[in-house]
Amino acid sequence: MAEVFFYALSALAVLFALGVVLAKSPMMSVLNLLGSFFCLSVIYLLAGFQFMAAAQILVYAGAILVLFLFVIMLLNLGDISAHSTGFLGALRSTGAKIGVAVAVAIGLALLISVNLGMLGLKPAESLPDGIDGMTGIATELFGRYALPFEAVSVLLLATMVAVVVLAKRQRPGTDARKS
Amino acid sequence: MNPQSILTLFDDNALRAMGPLLALAAGALLVLLAGIVPILGSARGLIVMATLGVTAALQIDHWRDPIGPVLDATYMADKGTAAFGLMFVAATLLAWLYSVHYYKEDRPFQGEHDFLMLVTPLGMTMMAGAQDLLVFFVGLEVLSIPLYALAAFRRNRLRSVEAGMKYFLLGAFAAAFFLYGAGLIYMASGSVTFSDLRGAATHSPLFQAGVALVMASVFFKVSVFPFHLWVPDVYEGSPTPVTALMATGTKAAAFAFLLNAAFLIPPVQSTLVVAIAVITMAVGNLGALMQKDVKRMLAYSGIAHAGTILLVLAGYMNGDILRGAAFDAAVFYLGAYVFTAAGAFGLLAVLEQSDHPVTTFESLKGLAQRRPYVAAAMTLFMLSLGGIPATGGFLGKWFVFSVSYRSGFVAATILGALLSVVGMAYYLRVIVAMYMQPESKDAGPREAQAPGLPMACATAVCVVFVIAMGVMPNLFLDRLP
Repeated sequence: MAEVFFYALSALAVLFALGVVLAKSPMMSVLNLLGSFFCLSVIYLLAGFQFMAAAQILVYAGAILVLFLFVIMLLNLGDISAHSTGFLGALRSTGAKIGVAVAVAIGLALLISVNLGMLGLKPAESLPDGIDGMTGIATELFGRYALPFEAVSVLLLATMVAVVVLAKRQRPGTDARKS
Repeated sequence: MNPQSILTLFDDNALRAMGPLLALAAGALLVLLAGIVPILGSARGLIVMATLGVTAALQIDHWRDPIGPVLDATYMADKGTAAFGLMFVAATLLAWLYSVHYYKEDRPFQGEHDFLMLVTPLGMTMMAGAQDLLVFFVGLEVLSIPLYALAAFRRNRLRSVEAGMKYFLLGAFAAAFFLYGAGLIYMASGSVTFSDLRGAATHSPLFQAGVALVMASVFFKVSVFPFHLWVPDVYEGSPTPVTALMATGTKAAAFAFLLNAAFLIPPVQSTLVVAIAVITMAVGNLGALMQKDVKRMLAYSGIAHAGTILLVLAGYMNGDILRGAAFDAAVFYLGAYVFTAAGAFGLLAVLEQSDHPVTTFESLKGLAQRRPYVAAAMTLFMLSLGGIPATGGFLGKWFVFSVSYRSGFVAATILGALLSVVGMAYYLRVIVAMYMQPESKDAGPREAQAPGLPMACATAVCVVFVIAMGVMPNLFLDRLP
């Protein structure tokens, strides 16, 4: 039963992902992306990663996609089909061909290597307190990875300052020259 | 690990090892606060210098009394990390000193600029001490994101914005490569900590693909062929003090990681690394020959220098006997390069600020008459970059080539030495322009200004170190690990 669900959701996720690329309007792209994220999070649930599924919904669907939507609405992009002519259109269609070729190549390579057992993959060993236990994640995060965890806070602060520096308008009284 | 044993990780050793990082973070926060707290506002420069001074003192303490692996072997505070940490402090201090009087219309944002600049050594130190891919990655981002913003700091200049954009897009790709590679390594071995990876199955194709992706990303940061194409544009467009920081600090930090993580690359691939090193030297030196802009020329020269250090990495991978010598050679070379390149870029910043807004060879003509001291210091840095005896650059090259010769890469050593001779051609061009060519008549108006105390101090420090490393190398080598 789980396997049927898995394959159905995987196929759906791929369809949604295709929709992201093929959709004419950016709004449809974002909604397709949302669908793809939902399918992925259900796959995580099937695999027993409850925390990751929740984080996927909260972080990607909840925060990042809303930002995308805001940006699209603010920029008022409208229909981008006008861009698909001329040089840019040619570039897009070449890019699509290359993308399909690369996807097929990676798929074939994975299929062959998995079937031949070349990758030596083993099923994941479950953690002492069960797979995806919150205790396990917390122990790693606040234990041996405390340094990068704390450094991320400096990183976020620096990112914020960087964005403010770049986005803030020029203060009055200074000349704006170009070179 | 069970939750109860977490506390044992944070013993006194771990806290001592974190000292320099905590000092940098605290100093950076104080600089940010100085923007809104009136009492601190006038003391911003003092805070920056005090932070870097305290960090340097803590690193010297680690050097004298190394701590070893801490936090479950994810971070290493040994002599090597301390040596690199001191290099990062020096690079940041020099870049900051050159930036004090550099900006004109962006002056109101100097506080944010100083904050971003002070965050970068935090990332660099994490990269140098990382014994875990996750720690390294966070360090890499802590270094990169401030640098993206600093590259585009002069927002009213198209070239600066272009440089920031290019650096950001390519850097984001490199970061994605790194994460994908680290994911593959985790898939193949179940860990991203070096102590676990040392015994792991390094011959599985998944593992090797992961290592290749990780290395591609780090090679991008050190600007090695074929990941070097962004360097000239970004170095040219960025504000010159920021270029100095990128050229010295980023390169040293990424090489520190490469030395730590060299065991991931299978030893049979050392021939490939040597080939990349030689091609990088050729691309850098031949590219530099064709430049009209001194900043672009120095960017290509930076590529050539990255290739030279890569030769050491190959020697480091190849034999256990040479490991110590190779490490010393790399650290010495990078140390000399930090002071030489920071000085050279810094002097360009001095000229941009006070003499001529562009940095072409044309603008350097007759500089010896106009600014004798600047011309003399620039001459010293060019000679050191080219590897003329009695400079730090010469001894660095000497150590590097002797290590690569002893590890059996004779042809590569000879090629590298020959390419260094080619390199002298464009370094001498700078000296010829400054001393032997008269100033062109249509040079345009010049704002003759004194460079200011911070820039003069920074240049003096660079000059002293370049000469000291060339004349009294024992002073530095005895202290190396």
